[in-house]
Amino acid sequence: MSSDTPDAAAWRRAITRFVTVIPHTRGFALTVLEAGPERVLLRLPWDDDLLGDSTRGLLHGGVATMLLDTACGSAVLPALPEPEVCPTLDLRVDHYRPGVAEQDLYVEARVVSVTASVVFTEGRLWQCAERPIARGIANFMRLGARNTPPGFKQALFAAEHDHD
Amino acid sequence: MTDQDIEWLARTRQRGDVAAWLERIPYARRIGVSADTAADGDGLLFRLAPREDNIGNVLLPALHGGVVAAFMETAATLDLMLATREPRLPRVVDVSIDYLRTARVVPTLARCELLREGRRMANVRVWAWQEEEAAPVATARLHFALGGVTTQDA
Repeated sequence: MSSDTPDAAAWRRAITRFVTVIPHTRGFALTVLEAGPERVLLRLPWDDDLLGDSTRGLLHGGVATMLLDTACGSAVLPALPEPEVCPTLDLRVDHYRPGVAEQDLYVEARVVSVTASVVFTEGRLWQCAERPIARGIANFMRLGARNTPPGFKQALFAAEHDHD
Repeated sequence: MTDQDIEWLARTRQRGDVAAWLERIPYARRIGVSADTAADGDGLLFRLAPREDNIGNVLLPALHGGVVAAFMETAATLDLMLATREPRLPRVVDVSIDYLRTARVVPTLARCELLREGRRMANVRVWAWQEEEAAPVATARLHFALGGVTTQDA
């Protein structure tokens, strides 16, 4: 990648790469619909393994937490001057209503503020847009360029075929 | 809750049959959650299997923070189902988790404490650790709404 300001399509490919190298979300076929400094939007196709109550057909609350962590973590990358490795410092999830079986999940996240040490984010999860399932607030630690593996940005933006 | 649900919950609870509860939680099975009576006799000890599929960071490698959170939420729910005065079905209201250390791809253990059981709400604290209980990888606190004891209450 030669340009210093990747466009929406380049970010979508980079964040797709970022979430598909995560074994847990790759196992559930998480896909990136949109990615950029404004927001990240992901879709998780329904899978019966996402159930937390198979008798009632309800989504596991922990899936909401997992998706919000993933989306908020993905939103961090395009919001920084250069991609950095940023572990989750803490995460808060409010469960507005239970998710239900057989419907895909959508999760959106955005960065609210960036300081020298922390990236503040928030996210939302829904199956039906007018009825949010959960809200998440996640803060990430900035480890800085020194603690980010060399080639991290290049790996994100590498061409499709020279992956790995 | 239907009468059948309450009857099932009361029966499994009397036996302390946490495995029967886990049977109905596919996501907990997917990530590899199990529960046992703690060796020191102090409540339940939960375990998250170190599955490759639970990895969130391949570079370190480390477990997915969201998977650790889901494990802790499952632990809190099951612990609460056993700890309430009456059989109640908990629904999670909110979760707050602090990540203290990198969770390596080794077995993760968790223990819970019911800090408050009110008529409608419960507050549960969870500690998760790997090598040493005194060095937690994460702590969490959760609020649960407690489902009714009778169908009228639900």
